[in-house]
Amino acid sequence: MTTPEPAASEALLRQDRERRLHPGSWLFVLLQNLRQFIVPLAVLLFAGGRRDDGYPWWLPMIGVGALVVVSIWQYLTFRYRIEDDRLIVRSGLLERSVRQIPYSRIHNVAIHQSLLHRLMDVAEVRLESAGGTRPEAQMRVLRLPEALALEQLIRDRGQAVHAGADAGPASAPAPAGITLLALSSWEVVKLGLISNRGMIVVAGAFALAFQALPDRMAGRLLVDYGREAFGYASGFAATWMAKGLVLLAVVGAALLLIRAFSVLLALLRYYGFRLQRQGRRLTVERGLLARSRSSVPRRRIQAWTMTEGVLHRLFARRTLDIDTASARGADGQGDASAQRGLDALAPIAPPATCDAIVRDVALLPDWPPQAWRPLHPRAWQRLVIGDVLMTAIGCAVLVWFFQAWGALALLWLPWSIFVARRHAARAGYVVDASLVAVREGWWTRHWRFAEVGKLQAVELRQSPLDRRYGMASVWCDTAGASPLATPLRLRLLPLAEAESIHATLAHRIARRPLRW
Amino acid sequence: MTASHDHAAAPPPLPAEATVPAPQVETDIWQPLPTRARTLATITTLIGTVIPLGIALGVGVVASARQPSSFAIAGVPSSFAIAGGLLLLVPAWTVWIARRRWLRTRWRLDDDGFGVRRGHMWRSDTRVPGNRVQHLDVRRGPLERAFGLATLIVHTAGTRNSAVALSGLDHMQAERLRDTLAARAARDDDHDDA
Repeated sequence: MTTPEPAASEALLRQDRERRLHPGSWLFVLLQNLRQFIVPLAVLLFAGGRRDDGYPWWLPMIGVGALVVVSIWQYLTFRYRIEDDRLIVRSGLLERSVRQIPYSRIHNVAIHQSLLHRLMDVAEVRLESAGGTRPEAQMRVLRLPEALALEQLIRDRGQAVHAGADAGPASAPAPAGITLLALSSWEVVKLGLISNRGMIVVAGAFALAFQALPDRMAGRLLVDYGREAFGYASGFAATWMAKGLVLLAVVGAALLLIRAFSVLLALLRYYGFRLQRQGRRLTVERGLLARSRSSVPRRRIQAWTMTEGVLHRLFARRTLDIDTASARGADGQGDASAQRGLDALAPIAPPATCDAIVRDVALLPDWPPQAWRPLHPRAWQRLVIGDVLMTAIGCAVLVWFFQAWGALALLWLPWSIFVARRHAARAGYVVDASLVAVREGWWTRHWRFAEVGKLQAVELRQSPLDRRYGMASVWCDTAGASPLATPLRLRLLPLAEAESIHATLAHRIARRPLRW
Repeated sequence: MTASHDHAAAPPPLPAEATVPAPQVETDIWQPLPTRARTLATITTLIGTVIPLGIALGVGVVASARQPSSFAIAGVPSSFAIAGGLLLLVPAWTVWIARRRWLRTRWRLDDDGFGVRRGHMWRSDTRVPGNRVQHLDVRRGPLERAFGLATLIVHTAGTRNSAVALSGLDHMQAERLRDTLAARAARDDDHDDA
């Protein structure tokens, strides 16, 4: 996938007629539909297909045939037309729909190519606007040059509409892209080592095995193999010491395997990662077998997150993520895991590169801020209270079971006090005319920030405990934030400071028009 | 009830009336909710507490009555006494909390936008700038209609605070507030496009 010449794109997408998808597109729609039915079909064919119940083997084929007809019909009824300022999509089998999508409303253009797509030189295009869980339009599939030309067209026209007078004529050639970040394979391997996504997959596979296999087979297998392995180990490891070593070796090997799996997943997903900026638009390409390319205008970025875990620090790397307000989550076709949106601007990059990207893309010339403001001086005490309570309860339980030895759990306290103090010393915030930023964490660190113009609401909160310490927190709400991500909140501030920030922010936001 | 009858009978405000400048929403002061909202809060809290509590206690009393009563005070089995006490104390407590919440809930409209303060133990002060308002709802349940109250919901494009709801507003006040905020949002949109 490379950026096409502008002239070629104009030639490829003439406006005078309605256009259809790629002639082979019904095949992909069929495959997509089949994916939902593949399990029931397989069950029917293999498990339920005994001859004695008089159940004809070809019955499921009727279903497949019906799906083929539906897919071809869908292909025949899907048309799109390119106008000067909008895209018109007509679709629908029985219930016809005509959808008009102005280019300026499109937040994200995602082009996806699976292995099969690549063999046929086609691609799937999704156009996403703000909000909602489904894309505005999904074109399954277009020829690859056509898809790229469409992306280019939306990029140029969308910008021209928005920039208005100051951007000059729409026909001006787009400046060549600037590559902000390109990951080598070795970097992607590092990313895999750090991310440990394999752990999640392995855990998921275990859960699935326990659910899907009949009659607690998974559990029995696990116990049987475990016992056998343990017996084998006891054979040559006589002492407890040796047994312990064997156990350690097994656990170590398992962890190594999981890491290797993570590396594999990272390579599949992020191989050949390239972040480019073309004028005001960011484009990310990635993927080993299935390539995907998504592009988003710079000003659609709602908030930024930079994280640095322990492993990140070991490799001197950080991760830079963004929130966009476009549709996310399941796309209604069981594709929740695909996550084609542009979420990571820099899955892994040296800190200096991350900062450079932020400076370049977010238009924050002063990033990283020099003067982080500290928290309330007694913030660490407030942080440690929860730990003290948990330790007390845990200690009581342990003392109940192990008598005096349980009191050793109290040793956790100095550690948690140390961590809380480090956290409080490192945490900080910045609020200035253009930016709200928070940094938190000591062991794993994160920075979260957003432009003031992107804030939607501000809230001042004070819990009873906060009040005792004379603290308060300010929560800033931005669009498109994932519910699992750390919120943009300034915690444990002195009350007076929090109140003044709250008032200032409310005032400043009200003076800035909402710019998506 | 008369208020709701009047409202049901009367058609929505006529265009002719709309041209007459409607009484403006007072700005720049933290305004309390009407006293009727406190009554409504008391009633809904009572219903919401007494019914589940009564069912739970009833089950408990029946269950304990099956066993031979261990001791009784002045002939009344102790389980009855405990149930009676709880049935009195718990609703009193929840009603107290509801009334205090009513007292602490204030709203405000100013140049910056709309603000809601609430909570006694856990306090919060939410501000929604006028130009961040996406759309507005005024919602009224049957009880709220009976009391001439309404719930105003301010939607933004945000995530956590994407809907700021304020219930117990006077109905007319809620509609005025909605119109004012909507007018502001429209005005800011015009500025944006210009």
